[in-house]
Amino acid sequence: MSSDANPGIANEARAGDAGVGSGSISQARAAHGIGGPGPDHDNDGYAAALAFEGLGVSRAFGATQALDRVDFDLRPGEIHALVGENGAGKSTLAKIVAGTLRADSGTLRLFGEAYSPRRRSDGSAAGVAHVRQQLSLVRGLTVAQNIELGRPRRPGTTARRPWPRVFNASEARAEVERLAAELDLSVPADRIVDDLPLAVRQQAEILISLAWGARLLILDEPSSALGPLETEALITLCLRLRDEGTPIIYISHRLPELAELADRLTVLRQGRVVTAGTDVAAADLRRIAELMVGDISLLEVRRPDLELGEVRLEADGLLLAAEHGPGLRDVSLSVRAGEIVGVVGVAGNGQEELAGVLTGQLRPDAGVVRIDGTEVTGSPGAAIGAGVALLPEDRTAGLAADFTLAENLIARRVADAPFARLGVRLRAAVRRHARALAERFDVRPPEPALRAGSLSGGNQQKLMAAREMERDPAVLVAAGPTKGLDPHAGRAIRDRCFETAGRGGAVVIISADLDEVAELAQRVVVLSGGRVTDRFGVEEMTSARLGAVMAGLAWDPSGEAGRSPAGSGAPGATP
Amino acid sequence: MSTTAGDATPTDSGDTAGHGSATGGTGGDGDGALRADTTFERATIGLGTSLLAVVGALALGAIILAGSGQNPLTAYGAIIVGSFGDWFAIGETLARAAPLAVVGIGAAIALRAGVITIGAQGQLIAGSLGALCAGFVLRDVPAGVALPLAAVAGALFGMVWVLIPALLRAHLNVNEILSTLLFNEFAFLLLAYLLNGPLKEPKAITPKSEPLPDSVVLGDLVASTRLHAGVLAVVVIVALFGLWTRSTMGYRYDLFGENPRLAHSLGIPGRRIICNSLLISGALAGLAGWLQAAGLLQRLFVDIAEEIGFFGLVVAMLGGARPLGILAAALLVGALQAGGLHMQATEGIPASLSDVIQALILLGFAVRYAPQIAAIARRAVRSISESLSAVAAWGRPGSAPGSAPGGSQKRPEGS
Ligand SMILES: Nc1ncnc2c1ncn2[C@@H]1O[C@H](COP(=O)(O)OP(=O)(O)OP(=O)(O)O)[C@@H](O)[C@H]1O
Ligand SMILES: [Mg+2]
Repeated sequence: MSSDANPGIANEARAGDAGVGSGSISQARAAHGIGGPGPDHDNDGYAAALAFEGLGVSRAFGATQALDRVDFDLRPGEIHALVGENGAGKSTLAKIVAGTLRADSGTLRLFGEAYSPRRRSDGSAAGVAHVRQQLSLVRGLTVAQNIELGRPRRPGTTARRPWPRVFNASEARAEVERLAAELDLSVPADRIVDDLPLAVRQQAEILISLAWGARLLILDEPSSALGPLETEALITLCLRLRDEGTPIIYISHRLPELAELADRLTVLRQGRVVTAGTDVAAADLRRIAELMVGDISLLEVRRPDLELGEVRLEADGLLLAAEHGPGLRDVSLSVRAGEIVGVVGVAGNGQEELAGVLTGQLRPDAGVVRIDGTEVTGSPGAAIGAGVALLPEDRTAGLAADFTLAENLIARRVADAPFARLGVRLRAAVRRHARALAERFDVRPPEPALRAGSLSGGNQQKLMAAREMERDPAVLVAAGPTKGLDPHAGRAIRDRCFETAGRGGAVVIISADLDEVAELAQRVVVLSGGRVTDRFGVEEMTSARLGAVMAGLAWDPSGEAGRSPAGSGAPGATP
Repeated sequence: MSTTAGDATPTDSGDTAGHGSATGGTGGDGDGALRADTTFERATIGLGTSLLAVVGALALGAIILAGSGQNPLTAYGAIIVGSFGDWFAIGETLARAAPLAVVGIGAAIALRAGVITIGAQGQLIAGSLGALCAGFVLRDVPAGVALPLAAVAGALFGMVWVLIPALLRAHLNVNEILSTLLFNEFAFLLLAYLLNGPLKEPKAITPKSEPLPDSVVLGDLVASTRLHAGVLAVVVIVALFGLWTRSTMGYRYDLFGENPRLAHSLGIPGRRIICNSLLISGALAGLAGWLQAAGLLQRLFVDIAEEIGFFGLVVAMLGGARPLGILAAALLVGALQAGGLHMQATEGIPASLSDVIQALILLGFAVRYAPQIAAIARRAVRSISESLSAVAAWGRPGSAPGSAPGGSQKRPEGS
């Protein structure tokens, strides 16, 4: 694509490529003159005052050089995508910009001024907001209460009330409502944050950081747990914030959304910059993909022929009342050996509960779960014994962050033969096993003695997968199995899902990522309001049908209901 | 309580939660993370910094001493003489360290499992009563039989004293901090009643029991010291704790403390772990009571527990909840207490001032192990905050208590 010749054309072509045509966004982009190194960026004023600039930033953790003399800058009014394989150093750089971590060396400048934050609160006082995937809203409080809690002190502003600082509920509520209206978000001020869906909680956190005077926003994998519609809303929000003058550092492994919203792109590999601030508009999609992941051909799906066997997992008439969300209302599901079933739906429609009940962790109010004919309802011990493996949606529920890699990897079989004798753990055997297993699943670095919590997000996911999928499970329940993984690592885990099924396992994939479901599953089940509202073979999975059913409407092929969700991850291109 | 604290990459400890102390130390948390081999072999603050902290504490103590008209040098000298100056002093130090280590190990097992108990004080009293009862029953039984039975009685009484809080915690999620604190009070009042009534030595002016019968009394190890044979039992207990930290069962308890949700999903029964870890800590506190009653004092006094129960928790934390760490911390606290008493006696320094000096020095030492203490404290804080949020949830319509991550709503938890 000869995009460098005419940025305008490139822009249009790009939108077409991505299969996206949301009017408001294109307009917003057009209005802002995105589409190449436009006049904005050449403007002297901008060049003089970059929003952020880091020169020669290095940071080591023990023997790991997480960042090695990295140069990175962020222009005002741009979205700068930070990409790279798992463990490349993206989150580390984000934390350094936010002030959570200190660089070993290098200089930072923020809006033209020297910037050397010593802690996170210095960063937020200077107007840097860091929204992590693990959101930091305080549970049990409302959004309005959260806006007041931890509000940074800013020199020269009255952002923080003078002493005595009394919590003024109506003022806080008004502030949330005003900002929500301004940003066109439906964030309720008076709801306890636990009761809100993830996407809304994320919006609340962004809203709060703006209320606290954020001038620069860092989003670390904000979309990894979102579905296509929610991702679309997030993109709209980001573009809007950018257009209103808040530059954004955006970390993600997902190409389509980056193509849609990023202005420039920096690629990190093993702590080094390999591509610095390339113009996204000027490059074509394929080129960006190559920059991001190297050899694209390795990512091709090689879907094995799976032979179906006996029913292995059987759930019948599951009923569960939940504290938040709809729970489960009469869900039945059976999965055969060699079968992969995808469960799709907007997050918070009973997915978490379903995963919990299928693996015995939650006892349903009614209904039974059987594995190979044995009842395991509500008994995690029995389920494990029957060969259940679980990759939970929330990574913090699946790993012991303060334990070492070795201790984590042994968790399912501490007392088993080579790893313990007479009730005493044999550490050498455990360590050997850990190294081999970590290498097999490409956990980096594969050091048995490392703390699991010190791994990068994607490598934690791999670690968890290694523990659960090490020995062919009878039943694998995987919620977002490739969440946070770079494309190659994601490919590897998906192949392992195929392998598990190929060896006679029954696999349930619960995912907000429809592409993932389309790729893995033979059969799809739609969960909405705690009910199964539709079931179909994967070949019948179209974005129109999904959009309608997920929104809770009945599927009517001829009717109006089938409007397209037009999500970046929508399976428009699936066979 | 903030969800920030549990970020997937724990270097984030930074701002919100209270364990920022781990970052920015001279040792650097990153290095420690790499060196770590097991859960609790975590970073220490660099030697330079920690020496500085101890010296700083000593200097501050010196200022306080000087301010109240004492000579700091002779005062500090008295602490050293009183703790290590001669055989008697060393005997004092060891005899004081012994029950501290035992209580500390019990507290450590519970802490590692994410259960925080401050009931050792009451359990210790119960254990000493157990030793006394055993003594009365086994008056004429040969010492070889009576002695171990008295120890068992001490452990059993300690266990019984924690039984109700344990069951309340495991099944009704009643905060164990509150309940064990109340049971301390019960134990103290019961002891005071017994020593003023049924168990009072008839002719004594102050309330105290009759001496324990010879058959259950632990003999002196070294003549003309108060060092008794019970310290040998302590060595065994420390060794057993070392084995515990290496055992598969200990691993499960640790895993439950570190991540209750993961433990649950692996079929580890949480209720049983909570219950058992409280019972184990109760038994060990009871054994400490036996050490006091059958070893050091050989009869019961109202203040037989001193503050061993609480300092046991200090020892567990300071020792990083690890066997050798606890041993070292118990010796440190024992030495400070023995030395502090000596300082009071020889230098005429008031007891309150002596306590302040002891606490300062402990604080100085605590700096070195700050990261480890923080790691343990995180678990303790989580268990506290879970209890609190369960209590808070009662006030909210539509939400049931016990919904915290480690809670047990809708969970079978086979027990
Ligand atoms: N606290 C820590 N202690 C030790 N090593 C760490 C720590 N934090 C990060 N690292 C290491 O630094 C490197 C970069 O990690 P970082 O989290 O920045 O990766 P990332 O690019 O965000 O990866 P991902 O896509 O998986 O999230 C990794 O090798 C990781 O193991
Ligand atoms: Mg990351």
